[in-house]
Amino acid sequence: MRFTFLLKIAALTLWRSWRASVVLLFMVISAVAALVFLSALAVGTNDAMIRNSTGLFSGQIAGTGIQELEAHRLQIPGVKQVLVRRQQEILLGTGESLESVVLMGVDPAGEKEATAYWKKTLAGTYPASGEEKIFVSQDTAKRLKLAIGDTVNLLNLKGLPLKTLTIAGIYRTGISHLDQGLAFCPAQALPEGATDLSVAVFLQADTLLESIVTQYRQMLPLASITAWTEFMPDLKQLIDLDAICMAIVITLVFAIVSVGISCTFLIFTLKNLREHGIMKAMGVLPGDTALLLMTQIGLLTVFAAAIGTLAGFLTVALFSQRGIDISAFTSHNQYFSVSGILYPRLTGPALLTPPLVAILFGLAAAIWPTIYIIRKNPADILRSV
Amino acid sequence: MIRLQSVCKLFISGRGHVQALSEISFMAENGQGVILVGRSGSGKTTLLNCIGTLELPDSGAIYYNGTDICRLSLRRRTLFRRQEMGFVFQAGNLLPWLTVAENLQFPLELNGIRGKAQRGRIEELLATFGLTGYEKALPVELSGGESQRIAFARAIAHEPAILLADEPTASLDSSTGKQLVELMVSLCQTKGTTLFIATHDQELLAMADTVITLKDGKMEQRI
Repeated sequence: MRFTFLLKIAALTLWRSWRASVVLLFMVISAVAALVFLSALAVGTNDAMIRNSTGLFSGQIAGTGIQELEAHRLQIPGVKQVLVRRQQEILLGTGESLESVVLMGVDPAGEKEATAYWKKTLAGTYPASGEEKIFVSQDTAKRLKLAIGDTVNLLNLKGLPLKTLTIAGIYRTGISHLDQGLAFCPAQALPEGATDLSVAVFLQADTLLESIVTQYRQMLPLASITAWTEFMPDLKQLIDLDAICMAIVITLVFAIVSVGISCTFLIFTLKNLREHGIMKAMGVLPGDTALLLMTQIGLLTVFAAAIGTLAGFLTVALFSQRGIDISAFTSHNQYFSVSGILYPRLTGPALLTPPLVAILFGLAAAIWPTIYIIRKNPADILRSV
Repeated sequence: MIRLQSVCKLFISGRGHVQALSEISFMAENGQGVILVGRSGSGKTTLLNCIGTLELPDSGAIYYNGTDICRLSLRRRTLFRRQEMGFVFQAGNLLPWLTVAENLQFPLELNGIRGKAQRGRIEELLATFGLTGYEKALPVELSGGESQRIAFARAIAHEPAILLADEPTASLDSSTGKQLVELMVSLCQTKGTTLFIATHDQELLAMADTVITLKDGKMEQRI
């Protein structure tokens, strides 16, 4: 049979048996739309976790062993901001007690632009450039019994006084490595001799992390350049786990949907059993029968997958603007320390996997009814219906 | 020429064994009209199905122009049916999701008759059966008589060598049925098509060259 004629027969069968077609279409459209949205939501959740984790303080790339002059070369296309931080291990002391901290000398304006930890200020303000002030964590402030406006002595590790700074602000991020043993001051307020330098690189949206890391490693072979995937392996694993869970969800949903499609399509095929018997009697070969049934389900699932993808795309477009606020469920979650708003985002795989899986499972679902019809003798069909 | 030689068919069901056909042997020349008569369950439909290769006999042979068509592979048997056979069933013959013209197009497409030849043949068939103007009608919009006429038209569209009709007038009133069979017989005679009709209708017997009476799967009489 000519394929164009077979296609016409398949299309007319679906068009003129519209009730059954609508049921099948609805099943596939709703599954595809839901999974496109779910995939985009999973991407959005991962984005939010990365954004929160890297945007709080560390940036997407961390560099150490870099000279100050070299740090300025890191501002390459795709990089939003490079923050240079000097650091010195010191003792903070009041009359009564001492605490060992790493004091970070930062560019306050740059930090405010790129990071979010300064937004976690509980009292006072984040120090401004040129001020002889310090920004300490709530834990440090409690231990040293410090309040806003108090002065604190900076001592070297041998206990020799270096200088005195005023408490500008007290913060709490909820993340232990930032809340313990760390304090911030403007770079020029650091005591003399602070030579350790680190950089935090913040990338523009849609910049490929690996590409920038590779370029940096080529530019500065002696420096230590690490991507967030290396210095936050827990987050990397969590995102990989999300991807696996999503794949399982897609497979399970379509396995269930395909059983539904298969049953509905079998009923649809059985409803037309006599017609298949007549066609077989007229000389339609088993291969043509199989192709006809596969084409029917193929047309249906391709059409439904396209509509479902569009529906999913529009839903994602709506929520990607408005966002989905899940702050109530993330207040104690370190991966959502900055914001609990998710913005679903469509990627190529998130957009294409559900419709492709739908078509694949749809065709798989047609196998059973096809085998059933092919194996039936035309005389048996005509006798039984 | 079609020749049946000791054709037997046994059905096994939960109610036991039923000998549907037993030692059926006869011959029909090209262009001959053969009517199979007998009560319900006498084996008429089974015999038509065997001649039409819709099912295979358990033993015996059916020769068409010297070839035992029961020994053909499934594919060759299907292609043989496609090219050489036309079928009319009792009712519900038409493909409901296709229009009248599309139903007629079906056997023509299967047999590679396309384009102008196809359109011309469809118009000719509609005119012959008095259904010009019904091209775009769906089967559900036709009366029983109109449906059966389209079924006949479709069965002979590709000019088969053998036409098999199983109770073709059962769903029609007697005068419509008679007219239709007369037309069919006349067309088959013109084209040299061998016609097999299974029927209860005694009025049709006069139109046949040969009448075969079946009883309990056995050939009781041949006139």
